[in-house]
Amino acid sequence: MGDNYEVIGKSVPRIDGVAKATGRAKYTGDLKFPNMLVGKILHSPHAHARILNIDTSEAEKLPGVKAVITHRDVPSTKYGLSPARWDETIFCIDKVRFVGDKVAAVAAVDEETAYKALKLIKVDYEVLPAVFDPYEALKEGAPQIFEEYPGNVNTEIHQHFGDVDKAFEEAYHVRRDFFSGQRTYHSPLEPHASIAFWEGDKVTIYCSTQSVHYLQYHLARVFGMPMGNIRVLKTHVGGGFGGKIDPTGLDFSAVKLSQITGRPVKMLFDRKEMFYNNRGRHAQYMELTTGVTKEGKILGVHANFVMDGGAYTGLGVASAYYAGALLTVLYDFDNYKFDMVRAVTNLPGCGAQRGHGQPQPRFAFESHLDHIAEDLGIDPLEIRIINARKPKTVTINDFRVDSYALKEALEKAREISGWRDKKGKLPPGRGIGVGNGGFVSGAGYPCYRTDLPQAVAIIKVHDDGSMATLYTGAVEIGQGSDTVLLQMAAEAMGYPLEKMRIVASDTDLATHDFGAYASRQTLMSGWAVKKAGEEIKDKILKTAAEMMLVVPEQLDVKQGIVFLKAHPEESLTFEEVARTYFVKYGQLIGQGSYKPPKLGGTFKGAAVGTSPAYSAATQVAEVEIDEETGEIKVIEAWDVHDCGMVINPALLHAQVHGAFYMGMGESIWEEVLFDENGDVANGNLAEYRMPTALDMPPVTSELVDSIDPNAPWGVKEVGEGATTPTMACLANAIYDAMGVRIESLPLTYEKVWRALKEKREKEKEKA
Amino acid sequence: MYLPDFEYYAPATLSEACDLLEKLGPEAKVFAGGTDVLSKMKQELLFPKAIVSLKNLGGLSEIRLGNNNDVIIGAKATHNNLIDSPVLQEKYPSLCNAARQMANNQVRNIGTVGGNIVNAVPSADLPPLLIALGAKIKLVGATGERVLPLEDFFTGPNKSVIEQDEILTEFIIEEQPFTGSTYIKFALRRSGALAVASVAAAVAMEGNVCRKARIVLGAVAPTPLRAKKAEEMLTGKEITDELLEEAGSAASKESKPISDIRGSEEYRRDLVRVLTGRALRKAINEGHV
Repeated sequence: MGDNYEVIGKSVPRIDGVAKATGRAKYTGDLKFPNMLVGKILHSPHAHARILNIDTSEAEKLPGVKAVITHRDVPSTKYGLSPARWDETIFCIDKVRFVGDKVAAVAAVDEETAYKALKLIKVDYEVLPAVFDPYEALKEGAPQIFEEYPGNVNTEIHQHFGDVDKAFEEAYHVRRDFFSGQRTYHSPLEPHASIAFWEGDKVTIYCSTQSVHYLQYHLARVFGMPMGNIRVLKTHVGGGFGGKIDPTGLDFSAVKLSQITGRPVKMLFDRKEMFYNNRGRHAQYMELTTGVTKEGKILGVHANFVMDGGAYTGLGVASAYYAGALLTVLYDFDNYKFDMVRAVTNLPGCGAQRGHGQPQPRFAFESHLDHIAEDLGIDPLEIRIINARKPKTVTINDFRVDSYALKEALEKAREISGWRDKKGKLPPGRGIGVGNGGFVSGAGYPCYRTDLPQAVAIIKVHDDGSMATLYTGAVEIGQGSDTVLLQMAAEAMGYPLEKMRIVASDTDLATHDFGAYASRQTLMSGWAVKKAGEEIKDKILKTAAEMMLVVPEQLDVKQGIVFLKAHPEESLTFEEVARTYFVKYGQLIGQGSYKPPKLGGTFKGAAVGTSPAYSAATQVAEVEIDEETGEIKVIEAWDVHDCGMVINPALLHAQVHGAFYMGMGESIWEEVLFDENGDVANGNLAEYRMPTALDMPPVTSELVDSIDPNAPWGVKEVGEGATTPTMACLANAIYDAMGVRIESLPLTYEKVWRALKEKREKEKEKA
Repeated sequence: MYLPDFEYYAPATLSEACDLLEKLGPEAKVFAGGTDVLSKMKQELLFPKAIVSLKNLGGLSEIRLGNNNDVIIGAKATHNNLIDSPVLQEKYPSLCNAARQMANNQVRNIGTVGGNIVNAVPSADLPPLLIALGAKIKLVGATGERVLPLEDFFTGPNKSVIEQDEILTEFIIEEQPFTGSTYIKFALRRSGALAVASVAAAVAMEGNVCRKARIVLGAVAPTPLRAKKAEEMLTGKEITDELLEEAGSAASKESKPISDIRGSEEYRRDLVRVLTGRALRKAINEGHV
């Protein structure tokens, strides 16, 4: 791949690499403005309580405090990332619903004063019974958290395609398993930050965000302002992983505090506050029933899930749908039933985290599938090959899948991991496992109902042709999108990458785009960029044709040289052609816009899971278990990805490594824990244990050839898809190593120790 | 998170420091590396009115050989000083390895040995092995100094026998009867994690006979804990796999772990059993590692 291209398909260094590696890159928290105040939010100490009174008078008297705000000072408009359940207000009005809920905010001359002011705000609470477990929450008589969700049922889904009962009747073997997941948190390195300042009736917000558009939209909605009066922009962002797609209390508070004080206000979360803000992965409880033929062909699947949503919905309805919707993509079967209840509890609200709703169901399904393979005496990798979806097919829930090389990925993973030499042949305590995954390359529909295009891009060539600027609303959050989109622009224009600049994610200066989520930017923003670049190329060829007295079709342009295809030595430079264009016609501008065709079916929830293209991935991992202590060492891992055409291989492989790292953490170490009052018990990086570099095994990342017809140059996603197989491949490897299944995530050392102890005791009993 | 207000002193001499501590009373806190004090203050777990920094006191971070081949470790030596010390690498590489298992490189670079002890955290990495090696500590106060076995220092989590005016100045490890020593830490990832359970062992071997053994458990009791029954079991005995297993079981019974977010009581107790056997085996077979 990439041989026919000048700029794409090449591992060019990321454009922000030097600034980041040398510490010159400024993140939102680094920015300072004259007269800037610091704001902090007062969080609820109770998991569930009625607010009887809030007295801010003492806080207001503290020298250095410039403003104190509560729900009385801000609109009571409810919001949430997904309009299906707007249930959150800027500050709590009548009650608080989890430890960490937003009660008030202060702005002061410095951080210390702001913290001190928080302590002076007196809130009288009437503490209410709280519920922290989704099953408890769904029981009759459980504390009611929201009036609008009777029985604490936030979302209920019942979908049935084909006839699952009939499929089970016809099946040679039907198996049911139950698995559970845990709450995890994205833990981006850079904490959330927001700085707001006003000029007249216009407000500017610098924000560490994954989407300048959604923030602008929600601020406009809640404050009742025209979107044009709100400018959202960002500097460098130190990771998001889904945790920076929702608007936060920082954004709303900073805007209001800045309006009241007339001064810029900067607000940051500390690490524990990040855990309060959460929007991390839902804990899911997953019952799976599958019927198969004797040969291992899947006939029907019933997924019966419960998920803990926490206090507010955010994007949680989509998470609930995603959990079941994407189960149909990897393997081809005709009968599928999906039942889901998303319960609200008195814990921080959950949302989208890398792989959105899907990684835990993949863990469950892939573990389940290994059991089925074992029941039938089929190699786990083989049963996946038997069922792998073929390209140019439509899933039972109406997703059109054009390119799809899962089978090839499985075969390549089998080869590079040495599967045949290892499976069943490793020494005691060692195991090998496989898991499959994949993801949408952009959600088919935006988070709120709108007919706006997904992405718009503009390229402006400088007057003398010596430079070109790409304007995009795509959001660089560390994944490399600025670099990749510039490569795409340069390729489409026939222009050298070194001469390109980017203005991105600024609602005033750049263009519209929904942002960095659902693995959408390479495909969707990329489409807009490609079209913009092609418009420039078109204009350059037309102008050059006039200059060379030929027709445009005789010409091509590559790396800044316009040449006659038949006689490449007859050429003009892009620069001189661009300058001529400027003199004759004005600014040389290209514009592109992308909106996918109508996707998906017409049933309730049909939109979730639609995408122009689907990635596929196979991961194999080898582990070693200390049978006495339960300690798990991940020895090596292999990932083979079908991610379409690759724009920047180095960045792609970095995504795979990062995704495996993150999935590995969620498999073995990471879990957000709560104390008996519902407060986060490990809201810091010492006790919320993400793996360190020392825990990371060597990872081999490989590709299979695949070009998607619905994507610019055939690209697909990689960033999220590569997290979705990891929990399963490690779970299956651990199972292979110890011969007992741990059904709940994370697969901690203690769980392994306990499972092995119980296994030994059982064996003893038998003997 | 922010640092609450406090007064700051950086006395030039040890006696000045002790006098200050006496004068300021219990609300003054000694500050060496600060890795513990500062983070606790920021988390509002500690509110000292005054900080007495040891930064201007000279000569407290040396690691050297004293009389009779004693190893003297200045209390201000950082964990990385221990790791890099030629004296320790020669005499007790096991101590270098124990220091290497603490926290992460940034903390090891600034956190001091004295701090690791005076904090009196049950999961601290250095106390078990130092106790196993019979280390003594010198406490200097406003009216004099005293030397006591480290083993007698701890009285509970964050509690010790140190007096308000006292500063821990040095560790003394006398020439050992032990032929081998080691520290094994069990934590939930390979770096930057507190011990769930840890075991230090020191043994004096004569051929295959154990003349003397010390086993010290970490993170499984309110203080570092000698597993004396297990030690006795080994003393004067020929080492067999069976005996080591029995010693492990004995140590496990002697431990007093609690359940917390890092592990259950039951798990910790079994870890002690396994780690004791492994530590003994290592100290017996590999020397001071």
